[in-house]
Amino acid sequence: MNAILILMGLLVLSYLGSFLVSGRSVRGVGLPSGVEYTALGYVLGPHALGLVGADNLASFEPVVQVALGWLAFAVGLDFGYAGDRRVRAGSLTVGSLGSILTGAAVAAAAWFTMDRLGVGGSATDRVLVAGGAGAACSETTRHAIRWVVDRYDARGPLADRINEIAHTDDLFPMIGVAILFALDPTRNVALAMPLRDWPTITVGLGLLLGGGAAMLLRSEMPVEDTWGIMFGVSLIAIGTATRLAISTLTVTFFMGMAVSMFTRHGAELRAMVGPTERPVLLPALVLAGARIDFRAMPALPWVAAAAIGGRIGAKVVTGWMLAASSPPARKAGPWVGLSLMSSGALAMCIGLAFALRFPGPVGDTVLVIAALSATVGEFVGPLRLRRALFIAGELPEPGSSGGVKI
Amino acid sequence: MGTHATHLLLLGAFSALMLYVTRVVPETQGSLWTIAAIGFLLLSGTLLSELLAPLGLPHLTGYLVAGIASGPYALRLVDEHTVKSLSPVNTLALSLIALAGGAELDIETVRKGARSLGWAMLVQCLLVLIVVTGCFVAVARPMIPFTRQLTPTALVGVAMLWGALAVTRSPSATLGILSQTRASGPLATFTLAFVMVSDVVVVVLVALVLGCVRPLIDPSATFSLDSFATLGHQIVGSIALGTTLGLVIAAYLRLVNRQMLVVLLVLGFGVSTVIEYLQFDSLLTFIVAGFIVRNMSKQGHKFTAYIEKTGTVVYVVFFATAGADLDVPLVRQLWPVALLLAGSRSLVTWGGSLFAGKMAKDAPVLRRWAWSGLVSQAGLALGLSVIIAREFPSIGPSFRALAIATVAINEMIGPVLFKFALDRAGETSRVQPPTFPSMPPPPMS
Repeated sequence: MNAILILMGLLVLSYLGSFLVSGRSVRGVGLPSGVEYTALGYVLGPHALGLVGADNLASFEPVVQVALGWLAFAVGLDFGYAGDRRVRAGSLTVGSLGSILTGAAVAAAAWFTMDRLGVGGSATDRVLVAGGAGAACSETTRHAIRWVVDRYDARGPLADRINEIAHTDDLFPMIGVAILFALDPTRNVALAMPLRDWPTITVGLGLLLGGGAAMLLRSEMPVEDTWGIMFGVSLIAIGTATRLAISTLTVTFFMGMAVSMFTRHGAELRAMVGPTERPVLLPALVLAGARIDFRAMPALPWVAAAAIGGRIGAKVVTGWMLAASSPPARKAGPWVGLSLMSSGALAMCIGLAFALRFPGPVGDTVLVIAALSATVGEFVGPLRLRRALFIAGELPEPGSSGGVKI
Repeated sequence: MGTHATHLLLLGAFSALMLYVTRVVPETQGSLWTIAAIGFLLLSGTLLSELLAPLGLPHLTGYLVAGIASGPYALRLVDEHTVKSLSPVNTLALSLIALAGGAELDIETVRKGARSLGWAMLVQCLLVLIVVTGCFVAVARPMIPFTRQLTPTALVGVAMLWGALAVTRSPSATLGILSQTRASGPLATFTLAFVMVSDVVVVVLVALVLGCVRPLIDPSATFSLDSFATLGHQIVGSIALGTTLGLVIAAYLRLVNRQMLVVLLVLGFGVSTVIEYLQFDSLLTFIVAGFIVRNMSKQGHKFTAYIEKTGTVVYVVFFATAGADLDVPLVRQLWPVALLLAGSRSLVTWGGSLFAGKMAKDAPVLRRWAWSGLVSQAGLALGLSVIIAREFPSIGPSFRALAIATVAINEMIGPVLFKFALDRAGETSRVQPPTFPSMPPPPMS
């Protein structure tokens, strides 16, 4: 397919995406993870219908890198905030511990399965696959709660708590990605540096650029200049990260965090950037889907199943932690943790980032696991979330269509 | 520390980072570094324009300076390959500029100023063509090496090509300045209308001159009007497509009126590709589309506001890229003759403006300042120089080099003059652009 046709298709998706965020009447339509767009990409991609060829995908790599970087910037800018409010310390703790626990469980399950089946290549490759899967599967999409709130008009302390957790579990996956990318630092870079320095540089670069941007954004300036500075610094961060072969996602995520922390216009900036997220996300999900190759590695279904099993177990434990620490969650019981199963934007971004950084079995396997995990999460997460909110008295009876707003 | 000092310091820090990365890490994936280059051009252009503003210089100059400083002949943060790979941004910017230009042209205002416009067009085209041709002939032998081996008739032919090139103006620079200053008044309206209409006139004029001078430069060639058939097809087709496009945009604004950023991107990339395929003139098509939206619907102001909101970021990259593309060593080598030719063009433009103003009985502000917006030259002139170089390969490269050097001077001086004139004429808006507290929703929603 012609590159300009693909670009037009992506713009149409972006157009639809912008309706999904701004159209009052269609909010809540679609799935929280956006996994249907990944499926669309897979169907169009070289491993299914072949309408979008592998060479086309390669030519769109800069677009994908920019999309990933911008999304991570938006997530970083939003980190620690649920709407206009700062999240509570308890939510931050549960969110962070939950993501570490889930990431570790998924990584361990994937590692042991690969080890047992004797697949996954060298030790470094196995670490990359296991770690990548862990990072991709550890978060809960921030859209899950909003989706239920918008669609079923749910309100209450449990909905707030889960929403806050979903806004605070992105930090450790990002650090994990930075560390994993450092395991193979010399692919493009001729800089000799100890392994431990690369993650530090990744995080430091993000904070440095974000700090610089925050200082520039401190003064009152025309809105156009604000966009110029945010786009400009983000693109510098993305370009520099790709040149250094470090994690673009981590750099821009920390950049967003730094901007949010160091500028007094954080709320305004979040209001500016927020609506751009969905229009950028949908084309990125389609391009991610187009890269999915289910034959990336022998015994891939087993590795993916183990990873997803590990994720389910870890989420149950997270739910137990949540129930222990939060009275509204206690009412919903330990299975409340399964409400956090929805993954999506960030998981697919991490999968896609791995596919770009480690082309071949390693990257492709991580991407497939991220996509499958998002799909399973889609079946489990929203249902369990509605159930938990119903038990907590924050939602009408599940199954009754009375509360549905479309 | 003052805001400007902070901005300067941070600009230095960002430059140092880019410099370090380009020097220390070898580049293996050219297309990805383009991302950082766009970012740096955007950031440095935005900051430099703010830093130069207290000196009374237009933002556009800041963008150009940022591009020159980061370009392949100064800091080398942006190399030739990167500049070339930014052509899609240029396509998008030109489409936005043309749409905005057309949408600014109010038919009533143009009709009221038709007399001024008519006289100015006639005088500027003829006088600039004749006098600049004469100047070129006068300075050619002593100062322009490549003309020394030409026969006298060929020299006249080359000089006429130069004269035709001198008639071109810069819609992008005009729109850039008007967008920054939000100027309104007779000078702003006149300049915009003149520059937009002159785009069509220049295309016809260049085709005419090309046909006439071919036998002078190449004795084996004969006078032909074949190119006019193609030109007619191009102009009529562009107007027809532009009208359709304008009506579609107006209907969209009336019925949907949302997500204009994505719509503008589709116009900039998708429709530009269709226009290129059809071999129509994209600038003319988009000008007509903007003009239709403004004058055949009630959506003109809305449309202009959308383009302004979206365009600013694109303009920064566009002009900064133009700066980075500037062949500084060539300008350094050819500057005396380029300056002479650019100076003579400006002088004729000024004289012509006085004469046309007198004939049309223009208001004093136009008589005094109308010439100032007509000095800038940019992409259109360079594009025509490429066509001329292709048509006459024997003189092509040298002719194009001289054109680049001269256009570079006009590109730097023209916007400064125009902004100065708008300020002096009291047409620059005193209203501050919105900042955070009264921030409108982002362009996407």
